[in-house]
Amino acid sequence: MDSAIFLQLIISGLLIGFVFSLIAVGLTLIWGVMDILNFAHGDFLMLAMFSSFLMFGHLGFDPLLSLPLVVALLFLVGLLTFRLVIRPVLGYPGLIALLATFGLSIFIRNVVLFILGPNYRVINQSILAGKNFSLLELHFSVAQVVSAVGCMVITYVVYLLIVRTKYGRALRATSLDKDTALLMGINTNRVFAMTFGLGAACVGAAGGLLSNFYPIFPEVGLNFAILSFVIVALGGFGNIGGAFLAGILVGLIENVGGFLIGPELKYTLVFLLYLAVISIRPKGLFGW
Amino acid sequence: MQTTKHFFITLGCVLLAVAVAPLVVANIHFQHLLIMLLLYTTLSQAWNLIGGYAGQVSFGHAVFFGIGAYAAMAPLNQWGLTPWAGMAIGAVISVIVAVVIGVPVFRLKGHYFAISTFAVAEVVKELFSNWKWVDGPIGLDAPVLQEGFYNFMFYKTKMPYLYVTLAFFLVVMVLTFHMERSRMGYYFRAIKQRPEAAQAMGVNISRYKQYAFMMSALFTAICGAFYAMYILHIEPATVLSLDISMKIVLVTALGGAGSLWGPLLGAMILIPLQEYSRIWLGGTGMGIDLIVLGLLIMLICIFEPKGIVGILQRLTRRKG
Amino acid sequence: MKKHLILFFGLVLLLGLYPVANAADPIEIALLYPLSGPLADPGNRAKAACDVAAEIINGTYDLPGIPYAKTQGIPNKGGAKIVLKYYDTQGSPEVGKAETERILQEGKAKLIIGAYQSSVTKPTSFVAERQKFPYLCAESSSAALTERGLKYFFRIAPTDYHDTVMFFKFLDDMKKEGKKVSRIAMVYEKTEFGFHANEEVKKAVGNSKGAYQIVADIPYEFKATDVNAEVLKVKAAQPDVVLHATQFSEMMLFAKAYESLGVKVPANLSFCGGYQNPVFAKELGKTVENYMGSCTFAEDFIAKKAQLKVLNDMFKAKVKSNLDGVAMEALTSVFVAADAFNRAKDLSPDAVRDALATTELQIATLPGKGVKFDESGQNIWIDSTMSQVIGGDYKVVWPAEWATAKTVWPMRP
Repeated sequence: MDSAIFLQLIISGLLIGFVFSLIAVGLTLIWGVMDILNFAHGDFLMLAMFSSFLMFGHLGFDPLLSLPLVVALLFLVGLLTFRLVIRPVLGYPGLIALLATFGLSIFIRNVVLFILGPNYRVINQSILAGKNFSLLELHFSVAQVVSAVGCMVITYVVYLLIVRTKYGRALRATSLDKDTALLMGINTNRVFAMTFGLGAACVGAAGGLLSNFYPIFPEVGLNFAILSFVIVALGGFGNIGGAFLAGILVGLIENVGGFLIGPELKYTLVFLLYLAVISIRPKGLFGW
Repeated sequence: MQTTKHFFITLGCVLLAVAVAPLVVANIHFQHLLIMLLLYTTLSQAWNLIGGYAGQVSFGHAVFFGIGAYAAMAPLNQWGLTPWAGMAIGAVISVIVAVVIGVPVFRLKGHYFAISTFAVAEVVKELFSNWKWVDGPIGLDAPVLQEGFYNFMFYKTKMPYLYVTLAFFLVVMVLTFHMERSRMGYYFRAIKQRPEAAQAMGVNISRYKQYAFMMSALFTAICGAFYAMYILHIEPATVLSLDISMKIVLVTALGGAGSLWGPLLGAMILIPLQEYSRIWLGGTGMGIDLIVLGLLIMLICIFEPKGIVGILQRLTRRKG
Repeated sequence: MKKHLILFFGLVLLLGLYPVANAADPIEIALLYPLSGPLADPGNRAKAACDVAAEIINGTYDLPGIPYAKTQGIPNKGGAKIVLKYYDTQGSPEVGKAETERILQEGKAKLIIGAYQSSVTKPTSFVAERQKFPYLCAESSSAALTERGLKYFFRIAPTDYHDTVMFFKFLDDMKKEGKKVSRIAMVYEKTEFGFHANEEVKKAVGNSKGAYQIVADIPYEFKATDVNAEVLKVKAAQPDVVLHATQFSEMMLFAKAYESLGVKVPANLSFCGGYQNPVFAKELGKTVENYMGSCTFAEDFIAKKAQLKVLNDMFKAKVKSNLDGVAMEALTSVFVAADAFNRAKDLSPDAVRDALATTELQIATLPGKGVKFDESGQNIWIDSTMSQVIGGDYKVVWPAEWATAKTVWPMRP
């Protein structure tokens, strides 16, 4: 097989993999700390993409510039969701929280469908749109490269947040043992709220970056969401580094494996990979 | 826990209501609703065995449902085999699959287990999508055959379907009732709440998880076979999808997982909710019915996290 | 004497009321379309198109070539108006089936029109057939739908078979002009639509005695996050032509991927799916310049037939984009229904079915003469044409009698 094609596959895999990673990081934070599976995660992504699109269309903000706004917006959405939907169901069996976020997912998706219609939108005249460059027979879309780099940077920032800041320590303590953390004086409720917000902000950043080159429509979040659940499990719940690496791995498998074995099986390969890994390491690649 | 007398009285009342209702409301759509309600109750109760009582949350039950559906439909299409035989075949295969999946997957905890069941279901779905014998992703349609019990097809009336689902419902309810009171039921509860303690007491956790899984798979497959013969069209996207798995989980969770009547209560809320919101609001387009559905699901969760069972408990406590 | 007068007036009144009460009862058509879910966009476009048709039939419009425009309602049924009632299939065969049963249970509709996706049309039409109720399909393209031997099923759109025949005739013509056409790559979604299109192409290639070969056969999962692997497979095969059986959302992903991965295939032909949607050309601009596809309607047609502009304007007022082939097929279906109602001896299911079977409706909305069904229920008066995105607009480039522009080949210099 042509080495240029192979390299191209790897690059494509990495580029989309970084985006997967950031989405997974957002999910693993929520899951790791609160033990809650946020079914609406993909729809948060969709909200971010639409926010970017609307700001571009109505206010003329380039998606790159509106990115901080989108992140802030999704952080607020996360906080709101936590306060209204998650907090009431915290003490109860996880299934109820699942059900609640499932209801939220249906709700958000169809409200957006209702207000903005089913059309597929694309951001066209932005700074990054439509620009491609090539280097030694390898082709790159500028928007995709910027997104990948952006996601990588933001993942690192989140990592620093968790490891270096007081909030981060509180978060880790709470996820290890909520009751002890409470005893130590940590305001677990606030930690939960901030974490939910942070998780949403991560996926908001991913969405804001994706909107530079990806079609935007109400159902866009679903495919990413499903993949992100597997990625989080693959990397190990609550483990940011794990989610990051797993995301990249999945991106690579999907592209390279899809090419070699057949694109119709590319997602199956991801699931098979997950099952294979999990049988050797029952807590994911880096789970604890 | 209810007394035996209590249980059979309640069961009898439900039976009576379901048997009489379609005679009173001679509306085909109402009968369809009852059939779907009983079917999902059975499915959810089957899931309840492993997910509610034994506490192992599975997101991949569609795999058993799909196997049952294809086992009924494919031999009928290819060899004219009666779907009842197909149903039995599907049930057997499902149980075997449950054992095969169970061995590696039960070593996993909580969320990892859940995602694994989902991953398995997706792989199986992909297998069926690429399998020429069952027409791949296009799916199978039931041929236009003579009506009757042999082919399990009825065009002019839905009553036979109703009686069959009623029978399934009865069986699964009685079974769950007995299980609750049996040693197995105690073991399940122990596995769910304090697995280490149970193990220390000598309970073979893996084996009992396996039993729950196998029983669950059996009933789920039977329901899948029924579904195939009722809807008369199956494809991987409808019978092997995450949607089916989630719907089953949701019905149980809504009603109250790990409780005897939870599945019925959950189905009584969710199924009519889905159907009527679509009927009253669906034709306007733009998913208004789904907005309402999503909102209502959230509200129920927020205001009664114990599920419908919780609401009933609160009401009965007030009376006493 | 007074008693007789009262009786007389009473009878006159009764006689006067009787025809008024009966003849003008509106005639209801039930329509099954995905109005929510992943295919809500084409579903809602079809709805808008049908609404336009109903307005024209029920009102008075001067549109030559469009029957029932001048008259109000259905002439032979006392001017009864057409009423459209929509049922959302949510894009799911199961929901579609439940809705079909509900329609039949309600018993008010005289005809069912639906359902856009071949995978939903198939089971829902089975339901109608089992209950002996007429079902008119406007736009589903899987040839298998009319190969089932059903008596109550009729379909207006050309099938994947017609499209394939057209594609290869077009390619033969291109070959005569000296273009290289023999290496074919096919990318198709894993659904009834995609698989059938693929089978037809394989058959045609098989029959071509080596003139064509399939160098890449690429099925893909209908709800992908990215299509890089698929596109790189196309690139690796170095085809002369790539054929697509793809819905809109994926077509956008593919178009962008072809561009960003530097894939330069000389020609890109689409079956009736995502390419047709006018938003495709508008939103993607330069990226999809010179893409081609089968079409039963293009903006060019408006230039050739002025009455279509009226239809297009009414449609545009509802959805803010132009008509395309799929929407036009839906629109035409309502006219076919009106025509059937007009000729049917009464409105019972069998009478409507017989009227449909004997349809010979000349209507200027689609290429070809209009609508006439053969014994299998397939419309044999419809032609498929090939359009190409030139300068951001869809222009018909083949066959010659419909062409308004010359094919641009290769796509990219």
